[in-house]
Amino acid sequence: METNTLPKREVQPSQVPDQPRQNQPPPQPKKSKFKRGKVLRNVLPFITAVLFLVPLIWMFFVSLKEQGAAISGVLEWFAPPYTFENYVHVVMDTAVLRWLVNSLVVGIITTIITLVVTSMAAFAISQIKFSYKKFIFVFFLAGLMVPGEATIIPLYQIVKDLSMLDSYIGLILPGIASPLGVVILKSFFDGVPKEVIDSAKIDGCSLFRIYYNIVLPLAKPAMAAIAIFTFIGSWNNFLWPYLAIFSEELYTLPIGIPTFNSNYSQDYVLPMTVNAVASIPVIIAFFFFEKQIVKGISFTGVKG
Amino acid sequence: MKGKAMSGNVKAIPFLLPFFIIYVMFTVYPIFKGLQMSFYDWSIIQKMEFVGLENYIKMFQDPDFWSSLWNTTLFTILSTPTMIILALVLALMANTKTKLRGFYRGAYFLPSILSVSVISYIAIFFLQPYTGFLNSFLHMFGIQKEFFWLAEPTLAWVSIVGVTLWWTVGFNMILFLAALQDIPDFLYESADIDGATAWQKFRYITFPQLIPIGRVILLLQILASYKVFAQILLITGGGPGTTTRPLIQYIYQAGFEKFNLGYAATMSYALFFILLILSLIQLKSQSDDQGVI
Repeated sequence: METNTLPKREVQPSQVPDQPRQNQPPPQPKKSKFKRGKVLRNVLPFITAVLFLVPLIWMFFVSLKEQGAAISGVLEWFAPPYTFENYVHVVMDTAVLRWLVNSLVVGIITTIITLVVTSMAAFAISQIKFSYKKFIFVFFLAGLMVPGEATIIPLYQIVKDLSMLDSYIGLILPGIASPLGVVILKSFFDGVPKEVIDSAKIDGCSLFRIYYNIVLPLAKPAMAAIAIFTFIGSWNNFLWPYLAIFSEELYTLPIGIPTFNSNYSQDYVLPMTVNAVASIPVIIAFFFFEKQIVKGISFTGVKG
Repeated sequence: MKGKAMSGNVKAIPFLLPFFIIYVMFTVYPIFKGLQMSFYDWSIIQKMEFVGLENYIKMFQDPDFWSSLWNTTLFTILSTPTMIILALVLALMANTKTKLRGFYRGAYFLPSILSVSVISYIAIFFLQPYTGFLNSFLHMFGIQKEFFWLAEPTLAWVSIVGVTLWWTVGFNMILFLAALQDIPDFLYESADIDGATAWQKFRYITFPQLIPIGRVILLLQILASYKVFAQILLITGGGPGTTTRPLIQYIYQAGFEKFNLGYAATMSYALFFILLILSLIQLKSQSDDQGVI
């Protein structure tokens, strides 16, 4: 809670560029005040960053402990000896790797199908003249307001009636049904110059070639943002797989981790190893895609 | 003309149909299916009997429904303002001109990308009494009291809100950060010429420029908070007792522990209604801001 109020006061001086202050030396007492401000301004963000990382760093150090190691005191958590045996054990003897693969497969398939079907629908609405076009677009727009959490019970019944419970397809299909991609891509496709499309038509391009060779490549940034969000959404989805999957071999990571970890209450080592195994791929991916993720978030924030 | 429209229809259908079918099946149909289910005594083994408004009457008289709705509301009240203030503070800190700004941004954002299950199980072990990290840490500074973070109602709420802040604040920080970086430099430069203090610059330049995105974050945050479920289920299980049980958990229990899908669908409709109103407010305020949807 401290971090909520403390830094706020100290952060404002950061808005002052350093240059002017050095040009006109302020009176003596003021100078020391500035110095203190400067120290706090540099130290507080750093301390906060460390606080944010401590639980994750702790997780990694615990995962390197010997199984059942008795720990008393903070520093002991971080002290050697270290061992990678837990990782070997978790990867070889448990279903965690299987769950990781399941999450990957479900996430990738969901993302690919989402990109294909939403871009096609967006293309139709943006570039093809057909009847009731406006109505259909508004019909899709309205779906943005349907919260998946509030329709999960009837969704369960529907997927059950389709005999798709406890299967990948039952996990994947509801994940593609969000119209957000259509709405974003439609506004992107609208920006494609009309002359480009017209001249392609005159050259005898089929609609599919216009879609695939002209419009899609121009929408790469929007497609990337949608891909990242669809994948992260699927990767982290908890509620739907929690209801729809019963077989342990079909679990995704978010469902598998609690099943595994709830068997442990005093042994910290194995649960933290499982957490680490589940997090390492995501953290690596984050370092590769940080720019795109950050851009994508700003994008959704503005577009809603 | 008519022929042209027809050919347009023929051409549009293959592009439109795949998404249309999935959307109708899994986004639109559940809304109506849920309404139907709420009028039935609909058990999970599907023996149905039409009961009219009985489920709704039951809901309005069910103290557990109201208490779980209150818990969800309390979570929203506790987490939303703290979330926005912390996100703003972090954004300001990550916007300072140092070589470490990339590190700051990454560190504040990193927890957001982790799965709710990982976050929750880190929290459970981190917060454990006697052997957990946080209590050992406090002991190191001479605070000998043993805190039962997840077993005492007030502390349980503190823990849930704290973990949620840690986990999701990075996302909102990014939104603030993007808005901060969009503020044109000349505003600050001319303020410097006028001899404005740091506080004045924050109060009269930075703050007003952040209000539009702040409003977006506020509404997104309220919407997201009303959907709270997974981290509470995993961290406290709704306990101690039912003091932290959110609405979605109660809906889940009605449907899948008491096998009363009809009643679960009825309460889902109440949630649907609340969320619909909130998103209508959000859409309205966004179109007021930007003139577009």
